[in-house]
Amino acid sequence: MHFIGKEIDQYLSQQDYIDTAVVPLLQLDLSETGMKSSAGASEYLQNLTALLEKQFKGRILLLPPISYGKIANRQRIADELLEELQHTKFKHIFYLTTDSEWRMIDSLKNVLWLPAIPMEDMDQSFKNSVMEDQLRQVLPLFTKEWSHHS
Amino acid sequence: MSNNRVSRRQFLGYTLTGVGGFMAAGMLMPMVRFAVDPILQQHEGGDYVLTDQAVADITEEPVRVDFTFEQTDAWYKSEVTNSAWVYKEGDKLIALSPVCKHLGCTVNWAGDPEHPTQFFCPCHAGRYEKNGQNIPGTPPLGPLDEYQVKEQDGFVAIGAVRDNTLV
Repeated sequence: MHFIGKEIDQYLSQQDYIDTAVVPLLQLDLSETGMKSSAGASEYLQNLTALLEKQFKGRILLLPPISYGKIANRQRIADELLEELQHTKFKHIFYLTTDSEWRMIDSLKNVLWLPAIPMEDMDQSFKNSVMEDQLRQVLPLFTKEWSHHS
Repeated sequence: MSNNRVSRRQFLGYTLTGVGGFMAAGMLMPMVRFAVDPILQQHEGGDYVLTDQAVADITEEPVRVDFTFEQTDAWYKSEVTNSAWVYKEGDKLIALSPVCKHLGCTVNWAGDPEHPTQFFCPCHAGRYEKNGQNIPGTPPLGPLDEYQVKEQDGFVAIGAVRDNTLV
């Protein structure tokens, strides 16, 4: 499910089935030199999570990307997110990011770090096949987590 | 001086009728156009989308066929890629929607090793027969939707989605 009004209605009535939250973590870099790669990473992350949502629509709720600046205190963001998610019924929470600093944060379980692939020059069908490949790497992690705890 | 000379009264009469006629037409034409507009409207989604899957390569084993079309969401236009599970039954092409009828996940053919001749939904282990019939006891409550499908120049063309007609 996407984080939009209509689908949240559905989520609220089906919380037993939709037991997984997906949180994209996105670093913003608006410096002249870093902007382009930051935008590319954002594009990649949002494409990947949208594709993931399409595959697992009935089991995951895709939250909007949490965006933060370069100097942001990752630990504080993690604590705030955990605090917010603590009151929900989600049994599994996945964090997807292209920002390697999250690997240092131990309080978050299931952080999937993926190196961003620049997609700006790809045509539609090539882009699709690249994203499908990327998705295939992520899917088993989800099914493994689910079969582990259910 | 000729006999069929037009009088001032006649001349003004003709002119006014003519100008009035144009004005009335100017008002009525758009109204008529609005009234018939629904008939002239093109039906979006009713068209077939040509895929790059050759019909000759389709067997009785369902294969995934992707097709792309343009979708408008409010003012945001985007290219959407959807897929269908296409197989042959005799000579008839059949295309099933991969959208699980439970909560909308994407189902896979033979996704579960224990049931190699069924569609499998990885989210909540929903299963469907090859013709889209949902298997009782699994979460889905209805059969998979079906796409209208036809052969176009040797390739598969996929049309509008409709309720399953095979079950």
